[in-house]
Amino acid sequence: MIEIDTTHVWMHFWAIATAATVSAACALVGSFLVVRRLSLLGDAISHAVLPGIVLAVLAGGRPGGAGVFLGAVVAALVTVWLTNLLGTHAGLAEDAGAGVAFTTLFAIGVVLVSALASQVDIDPGCVLYGILELVPFDTVPIFGLEVPRALLAAATVLAVLVVAAALCWKELVFTAFDPAAARAAGLPVGIVSAGLLVATSLATVASFEAVGAILVVAMLAVPAAAAELLVRRFHLMLVVAVALGIAGSIVGYLAAWHFNTNAAGMIAVVLGIEYLLAALLAPGDGVVARVVSRESLRWRVACEDRLASLWRAEEGDAAALAPRTLLDRLAQARLVFGGRIVPGRAGGLTDIGREEARVIVRSHRLWEAWLGRHVALPLDHLHPPAEWIEHHLGAEVRGRIAADLEGDEGDPHGRDIPPEEFPRRAADEPTR
Amino acid sequence: MSTTSAGLEFHDVTVAYGRRPVLWNVDLTVPGACLFGIVGPNGAGKSTLLKAALGLVPLAGGEVRILGAPLEQVRARVGYVPQRESVDWDFPVSVTDVVLMGTYARLGWLRRPGPRERALAAECLDRVGLADVAERQIGRLSGGQQQRVFLARALAQQADVYFLDEPMAGVDARSQERIFRVLSDLRAEGRLVVIVHHDLRSVAEWFDAVALIDMRLVATGPVAEVLTPENLRRTYAGRLDVLDEIGRAVAEGGRTS
Repeated sequence: MIEIDTTHVWMHFWAIATAATVSAACALVGSFLVVRRLSLLGDAISHAVLPGIVLAVLAGGRPGGAGVFLGAVVAALVTVWLTNLLGTHAGLAEDAGAGVAFTTLFAIGVVLVSALASQVDIDPGCVLYGILELVPFDTVPIFGLEVPRALLAAATVLAVLVVAAALCWKELVFTAFDPAAARAAGLPVGIVSAGLLVATSLATVASFEAVGAILVVAMLAVPAAAAELLVRRFHLMLVVAVALGIAGSIVGYLAAWHFNTNAAGMIAVVLGIEYLLAALLAPGDGVVARVVSRESLRWRVACEDRLASLWRAEEGDAAALAPRTLLDRLAQARLVFGGRIVPGRAGGLTDIGREEARVIVRSHRLWEAWLGRHVALPLDHLHPPAEWIEHHLGAEVRGRIAADLEGDEGDPHGRDIPPEEFPRRAADEPTR
Repeated sequence: MSTTSAGLEFHDVTVAYGRRPVLWNVDLTVPGACLFGIVGPNGAGKSTLLKAALGLVPLAGGEVRILGAPLEQVRARVGYVPQRESVDWDFPVSVTDVVLMGTYARLGWLRRPGPRERALAAECLDRVGLADVAERQIGRLSGGQQQRVFLARALAQQADVYFLDEPMAGVDARSQERIFRVLSDLRAEGRLVVIVHHDLRSVAEWFDAVALIDMRLVATGPVAEVLTPENLRRTYAGRLDVLDEIGRAVAEGGRTS
């Protein structure tokens, strides 16, 4: 059992605060990358900045210091420039060009770290996986409070990114959605795109110490991708992505503490779970919503079919009586409970049930009649499509079909099409 | 230099992708205030000509003037409707958001669209018949509706010259009719509308003048004069293999056979 003392609590607080800040910055930038379908560019940049960081540290920069950020941004821009160069002059496809550029730069970084291990205080393992747990031990005093250097760097980057996004909002969104039209309108599309790359490298470098080069990709892409599933407006997507990123960091860190494992890895796992939940629970397009919508349609169809078959039984078509499948029985019970069918073995339609059944049968026969008039289908092929479409016709379209069929009294099978409204009996008229 | 009254001029414009020319020596003057069609077979360079006018592809030679001036001076007066497939319609924005983008360039940096811009966007949506889907996410629209959103965005730009790239591609008949009506109104207001188009039947019905393009300008002028069997045969019947071959040789830095 871990002894809880205040030092301990502060340590975890700082680590969580750092992870959450880093995560928020990454989610912000990542949202733009995700909607531009550039998530893998985040991957490329997060790797390619390594030699820049190494060289900056070699030149005397401190990890998390301004020099290191500069080195990383330069390395990121070199990657992008190399990618374009490979694309335009070596005829390489853009993704292949990025693949060549960033792996080469990352490899140079790895070689540098190993070769200069004695002079550069960078641990290759830390570069890949980060050491969130050690972040609270490297602090700077601010107003008498010992604040982790990594948190300070991440908070600065987050502030810069938020301000930049707020100032260039229009340009960012237009460029992301329709770069050609934005360029034609005279917006500085090239500068905006380059700015996004710089922002990506800033967020990446800020995250490096905490989560490393591999897991930062999760922070960039996963909360944003989950948010895109959940909301349909870009500004909401940003808010949701940042919230998911922060929540994932907190939960992930606490889970890692509980299970005594790597915090950055656990955060990425929690982010993955968040995405999974979003895919399951997203309104409208989520797996659960789709299953619910499909099943509720099946249920409605079963109930309506039940009513229609009782109507046909009343017309004298005895074959349509007993419920057969389990779904039919359940539908029958639901309709009895809802006052559509009279309880008991005989189980005829109630007045309300008859009203509803009439509409279904009317829809069915109207559609058969419409098909018979407008579509070349043999008589015995009319029933199945009508069985399907009868559940989807509303009053307005029924009216239009009826008007179109004017003159035809019955359906193609010679049966009457029930009227839209029964003539009310005098007793039903509301009295004034 | 005297300023001309022409809406759009191409002076000996050649466009190349890489080093390979795809559009050769187009010399074309479009008068102001009309519906002007750029028509030709697939791969003829119609869209390329439009993009060249908008500065979206570099010119290998020649000059484009819009309203008598270089593009940079009149950009604010030029509206562009790109091909519908050129963007990702799953992008999380509403119909109104997209139309408001038409006001962004005029608003300039730092200013947000306000009540005036929103009113303008609503008016433009109404003109294209989409007022009732203003708050919908753009991915939930039909192809014809999406095309009309693009048109509404261009209208919100309040431009004097409009360029439309295949606005009728994959668009239902009702949307087509609506789009053509809006474009006719623009002409009636004294604006120039240049349309890359592929359907020869509607050219005669709606357009005032037309340019037949197949890697080079075949013919241009009023529709009735240009759409002759001879011109159409020269545009559609035979590819000019010689241009293809020379283009390839130029790209490879070699010589034709």
